[in-house]
Amino acid sequence: MKVVTGVVGNDIHVVANRLIDLSLKARGYEVFNLGVNTYLEEFFDAVVETGADILLISSLNGEAEGWGREVKALKAEYKGLDDLIMMIGGNLTVGTGSADDIVPKYKNYGFDLVCHQIDLNTGLDMLADFIQQQPAKSTAL
Amino acid sequence: MNMSNKNLLIDVGSTYFKLCAPATNGSKTHLEQHFRNFNKSIFNDLMHKCGPTIDQFSKQNVYVCSSANGGLSTLIIGLTHTFSLKYATNIAFNSGINIIDTILYQDIGEASVPSDLIDVVIIVGGISSKAGAFNDDLYQYLHGVNYSNVVYVGNQHDAAQVQQQLPEVVVLPNIIDDRLHIVEEDLKAYLTSLYQQDIMGKEDIKDLYDITSNQIYSTPYIVNQTLPLIDASFSVVNPFILLDIGGATTDIHYSKDLVDENIVTENEFDRLVFKKLGVYKSRESLVFAAKGNEFVGELLMHLNVTEHIFEQHNDKATRILMQLAIFLVLCKMSHYRQSYINLKLLAINSIVLTGGITKVLSQSEVEDIIGFFYTKILTSSHRPVTIMDTDYAIWTLGSQSQQPTQTER
Repeated sequence: MKVVTGVVGNDIHVVANRLIDLSLKARGYEVFNLGVNTYLEEFFDAVVETGADILLISSLNGEAEGWGREVKALKAEYKGLDDLIMMIGGNLTVGTGSADDIVPKYKNYGFDLVCHQIDLNTGLDMLADFIQQQPAKSTAL
Repeated sequence: MNMSNKNLLIDVGSTYFKLCAPATNGSKTHLEQHFRNFNKSIFNDLMHKCGPTIDQFSKQNVYVCSSANGGLSTLIIGLTHTFSLKYATNIAFNSGINIIDTILYQDIGEASVPSDLIDVVIIVGGISSKAGAFNDDLYQYLHGVNYSNVVYVGNQHDAAQVQQQLPEVVVLPNIIDDRLHIVEEDLKAYLTSLYQQDIMGKEDIKDLYDITSNQIYSTPYIVNQTLPLIDASFSVVNPFILLDIGGATTDIHYSKDLVDENIVTENEFDRLVFKKLGVYKSRESLVFAAKGNEFVGELLMHLNVTEHIFEQHNDKATRILMQLAIFLVLCKMSHYRQSYINLKLLAINSIVLTGGITKVLSQSEVEDIIGFFYTKILTSSHRPVTIMDTDYAIWTLGSQSQQPTQTER
């Protein structure tokens, strides 16, 4: 399956981005890594250009909270992204906050999977489980 | 490459002719500039005004470049703004094309069909492993478009189907690689060649081969050749932008260091064009743009004039329009106006001005406008060094660098 990934907003946490890239590849995904400092429109445009099945946005400095509010409206401007699996992970708030508060908020923003301060491999296991639960598609890992 | 002392360089612009001839005495070259008479053909007008100079040179010693043919009109149909449309637009600008319209493919059903003839349609979208990016919507739309050439530079899966539906299509390698990076060489070569054919095919330009046996190039191409050499003639500090504010359009050539974009190429410089932003043929649209800019009132006050200046046709009005053009171009490239590309204007060390504007405005008048822009729009005290190409050294340098290519007609 194809995954578009990158770090959203004005966030330069390149090491985390690289680790996500390597971990996804190790699990057999075809990865399109947009790197750090990526804007939402670039993510969705990359999904369209690559025909990706999954969009995995990461955020380490908590900026995603601001960007996340715009996700649903922006995605609605694109035709044909209804089946896109939307995942976000990292440190998803500025300051402190519990997953119990943060996860529903991001799900409301339009993300299928939300991993706030969760180990990378655990998050990717969640992704694998989520894919398995999806109705059968023609693409495979 | 050394320029022979026997060579005559001619630039045919939309508003002016410029001639550069070696001096008969002393070391400075001889420059002539003439306002065009639009009631005459380019050739007749040129020979009427500059015949005695031109007659002194043999055909192999005359080099002509032109931006007077208007350039190719281009329609780009692409999947996204960030990748396909931006990449194709970037390549088209760098190929010397001025007139570009774009359509986002998902909106093609609602897109209006251009009434004018389109010289070239570019279809682009998808990395090569993506399939099914285009369907009947594309062909139905193109059925209504009057175009001369169509080129496909999208994903390779769809190429066969596009070729089947559009037998006249030229299929070139995808301009988006598998890492979503731009691949520009093939499309750039195709468009440059098409532009060259267009110049050579124009009746008005064809006549100019009576005075030269060398290939006639487009002026943007010539200027582009100069950019890597520019610090040989000017004390330019990188990064810089070069503004060529002409009669019909404004060309901006800029160092790649000034963009923070996803376009990664080997070129050191890119080109950007604002069509319908000029001080003669595009005067009306320049005034229209000025009236739509909320800072222009303040700028006019700063220049001690009122909006009535727009209705005047005298030297003073031309000076004001040129000052406005500088301001509007800087606005268009800044983050104040979101456009195809925005430059990091606070990082600019030099602003080079070329074209007719350098013959009209003084250095202090230009610096005044640039200062106004940086203060009002960018709220900064940064002041790039202003360099005026008053003797057309940039164009001359570029013309010299492409010699002595003989015409391949």
